[in-house]
Amino acid sequence: MSSAIKLKSLTDNIETIIRGKPQEVKYVVTALLARGHILLEDNPGAGKTVLAKTLAQSISEGAIDFQSTNGGVAFKRIQFTPDLLPMDLIGSHIFDEAKKDFVFKKGPLFTHVLLADEINRASPKVQSALLECMAENQISSGDTTFQLDKFFFTIATQNPIEMEGTYPLPAAQLDRFYMKISFGYVSEEVEFDIYTNYLAIGDSKNTVKQVLTYNDVIELQQEAENVYVHPEIIKGIVRIVQATRNHQEIALGSSTRGGITFIKCLKAWALVNQRDYVIEDDIRALAQPVLHHRLIFRNREASKTALQQLVDKEVNTLAKMGISKL
Amino acid sequence: MNEANPKDRIQQLLIRWVLVVVPTIVIGFITLRFLNFSYTNLNTGVASQLVYFGLGLVLSYSLYHFGARWLVTFILLSIVYWLFEKAISRLPGEFDVFYATARAQLFSTLFVVGWLFGFLLVRVRWSYILIFAILIIATLVSISDTIDISLEYILAHITPVVVYGLYMFFLSPILTDRIELDAKRSSKLLIRVVLFALLIVLAFVVTESLFKNDLKAVEKELAARGAKGNKDGSDKEKDNYDDRDGLMDKTDDGYRLKDTMRVNSKMSQSDKLMFCSKLDNYFPDGTPAPLYFVYHYLTKYDPVKETFTRDINVPSFDEIKIDPVGLPMYYSYTDTTIFKKSMGDKFHKVVEAQVYLSENTWKHSVLGPSNVFAIQTIPVEKDFQKTFLSAYKIYSYASDLNNAYFVYNISASPTLEPMQKQRHDELRSVQDYSKVDKVFTDYYTTYPRGGIYDSITKLAESLVPKDAKPVDKVIAVRDFFLKRNENGKRIFRYTLKAGAVDDPNIPSSKMLYNFLFKTHAGYCTYYAGASLFMLRALGVPTRFTTGFATINRSDKNKGWYWFYASQAHAWTQVYFPEYGWLDFDMTIGNEDQQSAPKPDGTPPLPPPDPWLVLNVKTNTVDVKAKKLEVSFNQLIYFNTPHTLNKTFTRTVDASLCRVLYDKRDTTFAAIQPGDSLIIVSYKDDAKKIPQPQAGVAIEQQLLGFPSPIIADEIHISPKEKDKKKKDATKKKSKLTEKKITFKEIALLASKIVGSLLLLILLLPLFYLMYRLIRIAFSKNPNDKADQVYRAALYRFHIAGFERDAETPLDYARTKIDPTLNLNFEEFMRMYLRLKYSSGSLRTGDQEIINSFSKSIGIGIRKKVGFIKSLFNYFNVFRASRFFQQPPSINNENQSL
Repeated sequence: MSSAIKLKSLTDNIETIIRGKPQEVKYVVTALLARGHILLEDNPGAGKTVLAKTLAQSISEGAIDFQSTNGGVAFKRIQFTPDLLPMDLIGSHIFDEAKKDFVFKKGPLFTHVLLADEINRASPKVQSALLECMAENQISSGDTTFQLDKFFFTIATQNPIEMEGTYPLPAAQLDRFYMKISFGYVSEEVEFDIYTNYLAIGDSKNTVKQVLTYNDVIELQQEAENVYVHPEIIKGIVRIVQATRNHQEIALGSSTRGGITFIKCLKAWALVNQRDYVIEDDIRALAQPVLHHRLIFRNREASKTALQQLVDKEVNTLAKMGISKL
Repeated sequence: MNEANPKDRIQQLLIRWVLVVVPTIVIGFITLRFLNFSYTNLNTGVASQLVYFGLGLVLSYSLYHFGARWLVTFILLSIVYWLFEKAISRLPGEFDVFYATARAQLFSTLFVVGWLFGFLLVRVRWSYILIFAILIIATLVSISDTIDISLEYILAHITPVVVYGLYMFFLSPILTDRIELDAKRSSKLLIRVVLFALLIVLAFVVTESLFKNDLKAVEKELAARGAKGNKDGSDKEKDNYDDRDGLMDKTDDGYRLKDTMRVNSKMSQSDKLMFCSKLDNYFPDGTPAPLYFVYHYLTKYDPVKETFTRDINVPSFDEIKIDPVGLPMYYSYTDTTIFKKSMGDKFHKVVEAQVYLSENTWKHSVLGPSNVFAIQTIPVEKDFQKTFLSAYKIYSYASDLNNAYFVYNISASPTLEPMQKQRHDELRSVQDYSKVDKVFTDYYTTYPRGGIYDSITKLAESLVPKDAKPVDKVIAVRDFFLKRNENGKRIFRYTLKAGAVDDPNIPSSKMLYNFLFKTHAGYCTYYAGASLFMLRALGVPTRFTTGFATINRSDKNKGWYWFYASQAHAWTQVYFPEYGWLDFDMTIGNEDQQSAPKPDGTPPLPPPDPWLVLNVKTNTVDVKAKKLEVSFNQLIYFNTPHTLNKTFTRTVDASLCRVLYDKRDTTFAAIQPGDSLIIVSYKDDAKKIPQPQAGVAIEQQLLGFPSPIIADEIHISPKEKDKKKKDATKKKSKLTEKKITFKEIALLASKIVGSLLLLILLLPLFYLMYRLIRIAFSKNPNDKADQVYRAALYRFHIAGFERDAETPLDYARTKIDPTLNLNFEEFMRMYLRLKYSSGSLRTGDQEIINSFSKSIGIGIRKKVGFIKSLFNYFNVFRASRFFQQPPSINNENQSL
């Protein structure tokens, strides 16, 4: 089975449940293939959790360490609340009566696909515990360090920052997320479609097929790394990153890590779009989800337009470049 | 605005100074210099004006560059001005205040203009169009005020502004962003500048080659207008006079008169020397006695134009009917009927005058004191030929009572009054016009009735009783203009800007009515016109005279007067039986203004007086001995022309002689046997000159002439062959020679502009051709794909499917393929693969390129239609957008 067919079946499979959001589905798959994590920001009920679950269910059993539910890779969901403690995530040492010793009871972080719901409701210390896992792919508790599976993929969701009772993620932590996307509401027709189908299907749990294995995903991730990025594309990204730092209306520009992440995501995105090379369209498609949350804008107006303008300008430059000049 | 580091901003400012401010200051300098040339009242030195303008520009440009607020700076500026004004009014001394105010006004005007320019350049994107318009208007206004207009003149003044406009047009796109000075941007900038220069050169070449003939024709016409002296032309125009029943030729004489008046009204080029004259009229004690120089009389009321016009069919028309320009050398013409037509002989005497014209524009009429009865053309001394184009000697039957000291308005100098009183007392002997021919008096007292004319009549009659003597009526009218109000201030005043109507022509009766009853302000034609109406209303034969006021000059050259354009004048002539026509200048002096002393137009030395002028035919030429044998039957001997009863033959010694052909120096060898010559011999002590003997026939006297006759000057008459040639070219040029009007200049200008526009209109098509040629000449598939891609983008854009911020692939998918039914997306995918992937051409790719390349035109034509798709290429604005960064629209799908 070629990678194209694998990806097609994965996205198609998710789209049977998540209607009318092909772009967002692709973003999530891209983040997965880029070995990154994704932050969904949206109002409650937009389908964030369903998406994460569906993704997990679409990938079949294959990992050894983790308990799998519903036959897919392991999927855990944590609802973040203000009184959540780090140990609720990573687990804790519990006294074993039989062994007369403390044994480590693994928390919900030990999984393949983690849905961290409403991440900005938890206190900063819980947030940072999660983010350490995401960055280092390991968990430290007491004197032991547990390696997480290399599959480890977090889908975090957060409510819009304006809502009450939230601890906004600091810029340094937002930076760990490869992408931040928002779903938005679907159109009238799609919504109608969802309602009718939902009533017919009932629960998605039983309808989602497993289309890929754990190994398939690892292979795809490997393949994404091998996607060819033309030097001009890299130059274009350098220019965009540099421009965000020099822009009048951007207080904090993109970091170098941002740039690296951008290229990783571009590769994965190209693969998702069934190409083994990156084109200018990819830059335009990914700039917003990958870069926007890394920047701090001086005003609301700038936050809507400034990045788009930079990217449009650079994409236009690339578009006007002839083959012979490359 | 920007919070980038100040160093960077200063660097940006400096770059902009070089790119924008300096060219603007340069164009400002050019325009200011030109305005100064046209408007003498501006004349305080271009340098200081430039400093004012530049200061305003640089200051405001820098301020607004650093983000100053418009309102704040404007208020600050106003406050500064206000303080400035206050400070001036505290200056000691009235004169200082006046001087400082004038200076401050000029300063503030120019400073504010510079300031506004600076503001516009920084803040308004398309401001240069506005600035360009302002400059062009200023230039055009100045051009239209200029009299001797030539094509070069127009081009010389319009070109800099046009070049500036184009320069700014080219520069404007890069000015919107930060200007980077790295190698890439610098080269871009350089390319822009070079391209700009090339375009300018191209424009000039195209204009030059396209309109070469037109330009030449216009130049010729312009030149011809300046110096139209050929006889045929004037004859024809004389015919026109007759055709029009003596009405003044609007475009010809009206123009000339208008011209002189315009000079007067605008005070522009007032230092231009029109002509100079030696007038041999002296008081018994030897002091020069100036006489006004007459050009035309306006005698007939034209009810259409409501003003007085020229009429040559008048009873006893006392102008000499000859065109003084273009006459052969030493040609003389006498009209003795003038003596009778002058209708007066008391105090009259013959006055001789020489007139040197710096322009050949004084045609149809002889410039000179009134009652010119004889004229002879004379050569201009070699050294002065650059200044004076032609000269003639005139004899005038002038009246001593027309001495300018009698004529000047006494407001100029009250000491004149006792002197003028003598003339008035003398004229009191004239009781009325009962003895004068009724036709004559009726003609010269014709005056319309009704409406405003009745109020003028009423006004005139209120000044003086109806039965007063004619001279008292004249004095009453004069005194009316000199009246003062209770504060001792004159009611009437002299101004060059008469009311709202700044018409340099003879004012219409409506304007005169306003002048008499409302404004009380005007220049010479107002005073002359008003007095004409009033005197005619009082039954005094009067005419309107245009010409030149003669002002006594320095004693350096006794008897010499020179006439500047600003001396163009109008006054009235009143008829007194037996005394003839007498000048009365009603124009009051300008109390507010002292005219600046005029430069001394050093007159040429009077030419030596010839004792003999022979009109001969050459028989033999001895080049070695420089001797000629000539035969003649016409000669001028001591200024008296004679025609002999038979042909005489004489030898002429030309060894010390100057030979001229067509007014230019040539050699003796140029004289061929059979040529017609005019041989001149001057009075010279070294020569034995036979004195004329009264009562002896000229043939008898001829025998006593020395032999050989020593010639001083030989004028070769133009040969038949040359004449024919000249006539032919004249005829030719006549065909194209029309009255050059502003319409034609505008036509030519619009042609030039039109061709430039056409060039611009065609640019999109040229670009298409370039793209298609590039496709045809592409070497390998990659290159071809590239060229097809570029051409496709361009053609879709022109067809009206403009790409916004979307990528070409999206553009293909969403805009092109659904509407045009093409395979652009397929091509784009392939193209992007070629462009960005590491792989090479695949099979079938070439097919895609070729088929898509062919389908573009078909697709567009199907959708848009052939005619419209072609027509689209003339949409320059759309085409220019293709080369710009498409506007970034916020992607609605990405809610942030």
